[in-house]
Amino acid sequence: MTHLRLLLIAILACAPLPAAAQVDFSGQWAPVYHEDNPERIPGPELGDYTGLPLNDAARLQADSWDADRISVVSSYQCRPHSSDYGMRGLGNLRVWTELDANQQLLAFHTYMPAWGSERTIWMDGRAHPPDYAEYTFQGFSTGVWEGNMLTITTTHLKTNYYRRNGVPSSDRRTVTEHWTRHSDFLTVVTVVDDPVFFTEPLVRSQNWFNDPGQSLPAFNCEYAPEVLGAQKVPNHLPGSNPYLTEFADWYGLSLDASRGGAETMYPEYRQKMAAPHSKPPDKCQRYCTCGGGFNCNVTAPR
Amino acid sequence: MRIAAGVLLVFTSLSSSSVIAQGPPQGAPGRGGGPPPTPRASAPIDLTGYWVSVISEDWRWRMVTPLKGDAASIPVTQEARKVIDAWDPAKDEAAGVQCKAYGAPAVMRMPGRAHITWQDDTTLKIELDAGTQTRLLHFGGAAAATEAPSWQGYSVAQWERPPQTPGAPPTLPIFAIRIGTRGRALEATTTNLRAGYLRKNGVPYSEKATVSEYFDYHKEPNNDEWFTVTTVVRDPQYLNGPFITSSDFKKEPDGSKYRPTPCSAR
Repeated sequence: MTHLRLLLIAILACAPLPAAAQVDFSGQWAPVYHEDNPERIPGPELGDYTGLPLNDAARLQADSWDADRISVVSSYQCRPHSSDYGMRGLGNLRVWTELDANQQLLAFHTYMPAWGSERTIWMDGRAHPPDYAEYTFQGFSTGVWEGNMLTITTTHLKTNYYRRNGVPSSDRRTVTEHWTRHSDFLTVVTVVDDPVFFTEPLVRSQNWFNDPGQSLPAFNCEYAPEVLGAQKVPNHLPGSNPYLTEFADWYGLSLDASRGGAETMYPEYRQKMAAPHSKPPDKCQRYCTCGGGFNCNVTAPR
Repeated sequence: MRIAAGVLLVFTSLSSSSVIAQGPPQGAPGRGGGPPPTPRASAPIDLTGYWVSVISEDWRWRMVTPLKGDAASIPVTQEARKVIDAWDPAKDEAAGVQCKAYGAPAVMRMPGRAHITWQDDTTLKIELDAGTQTRLLHFGGAAAATEAPSWQGYSVAQWERPPQTPGAPPTLPIFAIRIGTRGRALEATTTNLRAGYLRKNGVPYSEKATVSEYFDYHKEPNNDEWFTVTTVVRDPQYLNGPFITSSDFKKEPDGSKYRPTPCSAR
């Protein structure tokens, strides 16, 4: 009898105690591009700043951007998506856990093949490092549970972009994420507070579906001089970019709206929105059929 | 035998502590054998109040009526493309169906404000100023067979349950515990829909469409309160697969900006 009691005690000692509510996000996740597909897959139009709470400093920097910069400036050629843009960009995702010796969750790890981005989300309650610590494209992330929701805070991010048409993000930004899993779907709400380029936090949400058949490759990128003899960083000086009205013209939008800003993101803005910059086309001419993949009908502009 | 019973008792105790963590399940007796708490009383999140949809995604497809033929981002079938190319808002106006883009599959994506209240202990009401629409989310129950299809259809709601594979057999809580025990989300499934548009420019859904929604609440470091609703539309006629979006709403202090407007086909 005494031996049986000892056995019972031993079993109970091994039995895991009820832990704080949590969800295992481990697995292969395939991104869903049913929002902003033309921007996220083929790439954004020049001068499209819609839906972003930009200030004038951000617009000035974005207006100066020239896509040739990627060819000329080698450090831009293999520049990774930062962890916040990465969730909106090419987002094929693998998630796995790291457990400590007591089988407690130490960290989530994520891998995205786009630029081979690997990230750690610490779950052991550690503090963020001091401000002078290293800044990286993936930043420093810690997570806490709020019921079934995983809330992540990321700091120490390098400068990057909110849109691949030159809209900049600063290294002063803090990113909060909320991960939820419903059925076979993963939704991640991304909240970016950027005091340098935003007038209010940017809140967006992205979706994935569980895809056990997905296998993610390694990513290879090599720097190469693509424009021999280039003597300057391609750019547009203030007021000289001739392409900034194309977006509004092609899609029948007002120019002010295309410039973004917090005011343009609220429903009442429609009451004061100016007329289209030019007469809208009778029907869609570009990116009209961008669906789940790359089947976009990119035609020449008018 | 007494030892075996003791083991079972202890494990049952461990298991039940997980149940306590998630609150009483819907339909289960309350403490002391009383009636189960109502869905309103057992709500793990408070969605009531006034909320504004902040348009940080799909701006040019939501804030303005997109150009004819623009179905970007939506996994439409070839049959749908014929409907898209034939879109004529004047015909919709003449037919009195200006609300085709304000049905349950699309209305949470509209720019506008939502006013959420409890109509009663088992019915959550979502009023939307875009198109002056009202959605009723019923906890329990099902649409009456005789009920005519409508723009908002019939929505059955439940609070999120702990994650488990549907149809899985009961498991013994030995050397494993259930995780995800405290659900926070509101789940809703909508059927009995009248055919309408996923976008104002005539991207169609049929009467066969169904909508699954997941409402999640989150509070930000600046104390702003939000909910995000993940919407999954399935339509065997006009969609190649599930159409998945998530829309973000910020809480407002009052209804001073809530302005019901009629449906518009243009």
